[in-house]
Amino acid sequence: MIKGLLKKDLYNLASYKTTLIIIILFCGIAVVGTEAINWGAIVICTIVGMMSLSTFNYDETSKANKYILSLPTTRKEIVKEKFILAIGATILGGILGFLLTAVVANVMNYVKPENTIPIDYESLITTTIGGMWGISLMQSIQIPSIFKWGAEKGRIQMFVLLFILIAIGAGAGFLIMKSNLSIDMEMLNNFINKFGLIVLIALMVIMYFISYKISYKIYKNKEE
Amino acid sequence: MKNNIELKNVSKAYKDFELKDISFNVPEGCIVGLIGENGAGKTTTIKSILNITKSEGNIHILGKDNKENEKEIKEQVGVVLDDSFLSEYLTAKHINSIMKDIYKTWDESKYNHYLEQFHLPTNKLIKEFSSGMKMKLKIATAISHNPKILILDEPTSGLDPVVRNEILDIFRKYIEEDETRSILLSTHITTDLEHISDYIVFIENGKMVFNSPTNELLENYGIIKCSKEDFSKIEEKDYIKYKKEKYQYEVLTDNKDNIRKKYNITTIDKPSIEDIMLFYIKGEK
Repeated sequence: MIKGLLKKDLYNLASYKTTLIIIILFCGIAVVGTEAINWGAIVICTIVGMMSLSTFNYDETSKANKYILSLPTTRKEIVKEKFILAIGATILGGILGFLLTAVVANVMNYVKPENTIPIDYESLITTTIGGMWGISLMQSIQIPSIFKWGAEKGRIQMFVLLFILIAIGAGAGFLIMKSNLSIDMEMLNNFINKFGLIVLIALMVIMYFISYKISYKIYKNKEE
Repeated sequence: MKNNIELKNVSKAYKDFELKDISFNVPEGCIVGLIGENGAGKTTTIKSILNITKSEGNIHILGKDNKENEKEIKEQVGVVLDDSFLSEYLTAKHINSIMKDIYKTWDESKYNHYLEQFHLPTNKLIKEFSSGMKMKLKIATAISHNPKILILDEPTSGLDPVVRNEILDIFRKYIEEDETRSILLSTHITTDLEHISDYIVFIENGKMVFNSPTNELLENYGIIKCSKEDFSKIEEKDYIKYKKEKYQYEVLTDNKDNIRKKYNITTIDKPSIEDIMLFYIKGEK
């Protein structure tokens, strides 16, 4: 059943393919122009990751939710499918972002050897995973919001939630600064270098898991 | 006769509307028409049957509780909803590919046969279809997994008479193919039901007004057109509702033989289902 639902969303997303190619080309040009290749990876990853959420719009505009609930599928499967799609899009966005940026930069270095773009693969990987983490955070907030308020209202609510999160983060940072708490920066850097990636990936898994649980709880009782 | 759908005291309360104690059956081999004004509670009843909305009361489909055996039941139910289907950015070919992975018993050749019969293009986006074509696609999708039950919410609304007839023919054939099948059809176009339905369930303001075999309804009900003086002679228990027109009274009875004998009235018109519905809604008592 989930396969059928995934197909439905992927066919809908297929109508985006021209837009996606144009955006990717645009990012390629931007990378060449600015030489800030890491940004290319983040932008591509963001676009692909967030594109998966537009499937909610397709369902909402065609009032498909009621019909989908009349099919032999459960509410749990409907929620699960949206998360599979979102996670899949984030991973695909990350891989595409990394590969396309690397390919474009190398091609440009080959074509214009006098104007070499420096490529630091380690930094590119870290940036890409950082971008994926950011997208997973956005998705984890947005998916339950959409299940609760719908695709249009959900987006507004997401920005409100995001603003609150940033405010909390900034507030916490301000409090730490005010309290004169001494942070051993060397130790922090060592920790990030050693465990940064693992922590980021673990956080992504936790965020998705919590978001899935909240989404299912909301959708289980939602009236269409 | 076995019932494919059984509703007992189904209720659902919204802020501004309440569906109250709806009870009726949809027997095997029968087409049951659910009639009522827009907003009377037909769609809420259907949504309750399909567990799209959470309601109180008991609903059994094919002998099983609709909440406990939801997925299993829905494998055997085909649904057409007036205002809801998959995205319009899909094609009939996409629908086939999706449904193959949704229904275990999806019959691809049957679906393609219907597409051909209805002259529906396979690679055109649904958004480019006319309303009739969209409805035919919904119906083809609903019956291509050979369901035991068809649940149809306003399947003929907004369609021209030719397409409506074609669609009603499809339903007729669907029942004739296998007599253990059933159809529950909600509509406010009651003329559609006169020729194809076996039972009529009438809902008004969230309450069930009657549940009656269609032929009994058409045979036993009658409209008496009489003067004020003649009307005053008819006892209240012998009629259902009356309407005061400019020059006469129109009176609806559910036992025209009784009226004939008791009051010696010979001219009694045969009402349509629409007439009966309008008397219940607009008439006085």
